[in-house]
Amino acid sequence: MSLAEPSLPRRAFTTRLNGFLANGGIVLLLILLIAVVTAIIQPRFLNQQNILNVLRNTAILSIISMGQMLVMIVGGFDLSVGVIVAFASIETALVMSALLQWMPEMQFLAVVLAVAIALASGAAIGMVNGVLVARLSLSPFMVTLAMSSVIAGATFYVTKGIPVYGMPEFFTHGVGRSFLLGVPTVVVVGLLVVLTTIAVQRLTRFGRHVYAVGSNPVASRQSGIPVDAVLVATYAISGLTAAITGILLTARIGSGQSTLGGTFVLESIAAAVVGGVSLLGGSGRAERVLLGALFLSLVSNSMNLMRIDSKFQTLVLGAVLLAALCFELLLRGRRKYG
Amino acid sequence: MAEAVITRQGLRWTHIDFLQRILPTLLMFAGFAFYEPAVASTSNLWNIALQTSYLALFTLGQVVVLLTAGLDLSIGLTVSYASVVSALAMMQFSDEPGLAVLVFIATSVGVGVLIGGFNGFFVAVLDINPFVVTLASFNILLALSSTITDGFPVSGFPPLLGSALVNSAVAGIPIPIVIIGVLFAATAVLLNRSVFGRSLYLIGSNRRMAFAAGINVRLHLLGAYILCSSLAAVGAALLTARAGSGEPNIGGSLALETIAAAVIGGARLRGGEGGVLSALAGALFVTVLSNGMNLARIDGYVQQLCIGAIIVLSLIADRLSHRTSRTS
Amino acid sequence: MTHASKLLELSRISKRYGPLLALDDVDFDVMPGEVHVLFGENGAGKSTMINVITGNVGPDGGSYRLLGNEVRTMTPQEARRRGIAAVFQEFSLVPDLTVLENLFLGRERRIAGLLKRAEMRREADAFIAKLGFNLPLDRLVVDLPRAQRQLLEVAKALFEEARILILDEPTASLTDTDADRLFDLLFEMKRDGVGIVYVSHRMREIRLLADRVTVLRGGRKVATVAGADVSEAQLVEMMVGRPVGDLYPAIAHKPGKPLLEIEKLSSVDGRVRDVSLAVREGEIVGLAGLVGCGKGEIGRLVFGLDPISGGSVRVKGKPVARFSPRALLRRGVCYFPADRATDGLAPNRPIRENASAAALDLKRFGGGGWLRRRAENSKVREVFERLGVRPLRLEQTVLQFSGGNRQKVMLARGLMREIQIFLFDEPTVGIDVGAKAEIYQLMRDLAEGGAAILLISSELPEILNLSHRIYVMHEGEIVTHLEGEQRTEAQVLSGFFGKNRTKAAA
Repeated sequence: MSLAEPSLPRRAFTTRLNGFLANGGIVLLLILLIAVVTAIIQPRFLNQQNILNVLRNTAILSIISMGQMLVMIVGGFDLSVGVIVAFASIETALVMSALLQWMPEMQFLAVVLAVAIALASGAAIGMVNGVLVARLSLSPFMVTLAMSSVIAGATFYVTKGIPVYGMPEFFTHGVGRSFLLGVPTVVVVGLLVVLTTIAVQRLTRFGRHVYAVGSNPVASRQSGIPVDAVLVATYAISGLTAAITGILLTARIGSGQSTLGGTFVLESIAAAVVGGVSLLGGSGRAERVLLGALFLSLVSNSMNLMRIDSKFQTLVLGAVLLAALCFELLLRGRRKYG
Repeated sequence: MAEAVITRQGLRWTHIDFLQRILPTLLMFAGFAFYEPAVASTSNLWNIALQTSYLALFTLGQVVVLLTAGLDLSIGLTVSYASVVSALAMMQFSDEPGLAVLVFIATSVGVGVLIGGFNGFFVAVLDINPFVVTLASFNILLALSSTITDGFPVSGFPPLLGSALVNSAVAGIPIPIVIIGVLFAATAVLLNRSVFGRSLYLIGSNRRMAFAAGINVRLHLLGAYILCSSLAAVGAALLTARAGSGEPNIGGSLALETIAAAVIGGARLRGGEGGVLSALAGALFVTVLSNGMNLARIDGYVQQLCIGAIIVLSLIADRLSHRTSRTS
Repeated sequence: MTHASKLLELSRISKRYGPLLALDDVDFDVMPGEVHVLFGENGAGKSTMINVITGNVGPDGGSYRLLGNEVRTMTPQEARRRGIAAVFQEFSLVPDLTVLENLFLGRERRIAGLLKRAEMRREADAFIAKLGFNLPLDRLVVDLPRAQRQLLEVAKALFEEARILILDEPTASLTDTDADRLFDLLFEMKRDGVGIVYVSHRMREIRLLADRVTVLRGGRKVATVAGADVSEAQLVEMMVGRPVGDLYPAIAHKPGKPLLEIEKLSSVDGRVRDVSLAVREGEIVGLAGLVGCGKGEIGRLVFGLDPISGGSVRVKGKPVARFSPRALLRRGVCYFPADRATDGLAPNRPIRENASAAALDLKRFGGGGWLRRRAENSKVREVFERLGVRPLRLEQTVLQFSGGNRQKVMLARGLMREIQIFLFDEPTVGIDVGAKAEIYQLMRDLAEGGAAILLISSELPEILNLSHRIYVMHEGEIVTHLEGEQRTEAQVLSGFFGKNRTKAAA
């Protein structure tokens, strides 16, 4: 205690500034800045259609980023989220169209079953990742990279890269393009996922254990936390959120596609890093990752409106990621244990 | 048992270890040859040798950073970008074929040095997680190499390039294999006989220890990333010359393949272990596997699936064997 | 028969880590309402024993009985559920969570799956007030000073309502007032029939608390004796395995000119403030203090491992301009870090490479270009022979050696080149007595050969028996400087708690 005293007066200001910047203030400022600048240059930005587009993209990205964030809090990465999106997509489409041929009049049941199966397999893939990471202490990076290869191979083998059609309109229009209370259904689902994650992080024991395991696994084990189970659960959730993303995208596009999801690995990690999730594990908040997702969606929307080549946009994404990391580095200095 | 373990550990990275590591490859080769005799034909053997040497060169680059406890996800796009840029640069000198070939090679290596310096700056100097840094540069390079050419190959090379880097031979050995062999030997000497190489192993094993021992950690790490990307760039030049055009998609899935090969060959993600022989053994394994599967007419997507599964299995096997040797 | 009355009974417990036999056929038990002290050097097996009891480590052999019932496999969760609580030396705290969250870690109060935050806060407030500890509930643990982390670790264990309480050096960084408060609480628990396993080196605490003392040495149990009728000398002799006098060599004191002079040195993180000290040619200077008082930090600052905010250092009379390990090695300064695993050794590399790592810039070993393997091999072999590294297999990795040999491998770094100033930070932690004696011999040889040695240590006997002069640190400052007859345990101890300030004259 007494050690910190001499520098207290100076710390007050910097702490407050640091606190604001560190807690997402800078992302908020950047979001406002981009919105204002884009609106001035391209008034189309403020069209209802465009705003809804940004919200849809934000919702989709934030769903998959929730899972990625949890995995990053426990000190890992999930590189398999991209292929799980594709896997869920073709699985949903295949199961749905097969069920419909079999029982054409039971549309609702077919949709529910297909969605449930896709969600379950997303979670199952995540669980396999989690078991390999937790029980065999393999590198999360290698495990999820190899898993990506396996799943992508399987996905493409089944479809030969051809889109899968045959889903009922009830699904494609009902989920993909409809509105609930004036808000796109996708956005509603996104909000639900984010709110649930916030609640889990703040209100539940599991949420707290995720932080504990990421921050200090040894101490967590000593404190009686089932560390392995927590790890497996976070990877399973990551698979689950990736599957949700895949299902929503499938509904929106109207077909199951094995090429979906390619950019989600980078985007979800970028959203998490922009949202202040530390690569060292132990910290990260859902509401800030939502901001990160909004930021990335805005940047890409703004570039689209300014007719910047979409291929070139990944460059910006990479640069944003590096900039966010450098920023984290500036804040990291004061946070060291022991 | 204990004695055997000690001996094996004591002779790490010697030929015995190498033989152990290529034994599964030989068995696999025998299996494929039994199923499809064309696998063992002379022309296919040359084919395997050539493919192995390209992959081994890229894997060697990957091993250099892996043994510092880092990694390079951008290696494939380094190859693509170097291919496109060096092809474009060469086209500026199409009147003078000799100069054009020199420009081609110099540009390719120069691009490698720059990309390695970029990655190394963030990883070594700023101390940022190499995985995320190279993921970012992967995407930056992806954007650059596809926008520079709008995704189309750059073609119209002078014939001299092909005769210089593809079709000539030294003592009956194709020139690419010769060049790659020389690079392997040079890297082996560098890793095993130089202070630079020694420093990389120590940094990979324990970065803080290396610093406390007075080793210039940042400089050496930067060097490792530059070396990695430069080796990749030389490989890019050889591949580009063979393809006859600058290809924005040439690097494809090299990140996965090289990391898989390195790990199968005995390098460890946590650093401090691995060498040129692990690059060679791993590359041979991956090449024989995909060559065999191709000739056995196994679907390309199934091949991808198999590679992923084999990586996981080799990781598990490695972990389990370490567990038993620690407790026995 | 007696089983029923024993809370805990471990028999014939063995545990091996690679080449190291951490526990060898050890019996240990705890009765209700007693304090059973575990005594031994660092590395004698005390921590492994605690880890076995708390289920963090599964033993390779032996039986485990709790309240008379055989336990097959113990896990941390199971241990806690059955009423075993522990204060760990390395703290079981999670840095990114708050004090309150840490207190309830692993036993969060819930209703319908949701945390009962208000209730937990009330409960914690009441509990902390009852303990009388000063703990801010909403601070992140990462921002707490070490003393408060220690209090929190203790509070966390006491919170359990345990039947068996294990404390591993719980007072290592507590003030006297807080320690006394803890002892009061322990007496209360004893009266309630709680069995207490207590690990400590401090005679005062053993005198005050111990009903029985079990002495461990090199993973084996030496004896279990009644706390009342054992003298300190007896305990230490059992711990060391030989008369204390034999362990510490006599070291001639012929001080020459000052080789290392530290002037008003402060660290950026505030853990060291305005420290001045000097070490002369041919002498060993001890730097003592509680864990976390900043004494190890001084070595790290001088060697350039942590940033300096002010002050100066002179080596052989010339000021140091650039604080980096490389620059200091070249000036003849070598620091041996306390934590071999994090700063000291490259675990999966051969010991040969570990030994020569700090000498790679020398011409004779390569000078930055190509390695001279033959010169390296012969010099490393010579140094290892001098240090007594066994077995002398240069190509084995560090992981294949025991603690004592690992320490020697690290020390070899300082003998590979011309070094006159040695900074030893906790040089004998976790190593066996034989290796310890050898390292003390080495320090004597170096000092008598004209080197300047700064011995930074938490082991009081080491400081008292080897040092020609002693500085004592308290909360980042040097509070006492002791020479000649002043070098007594009582004098050093009072310095530990910031009393008895002599104006430190360097």
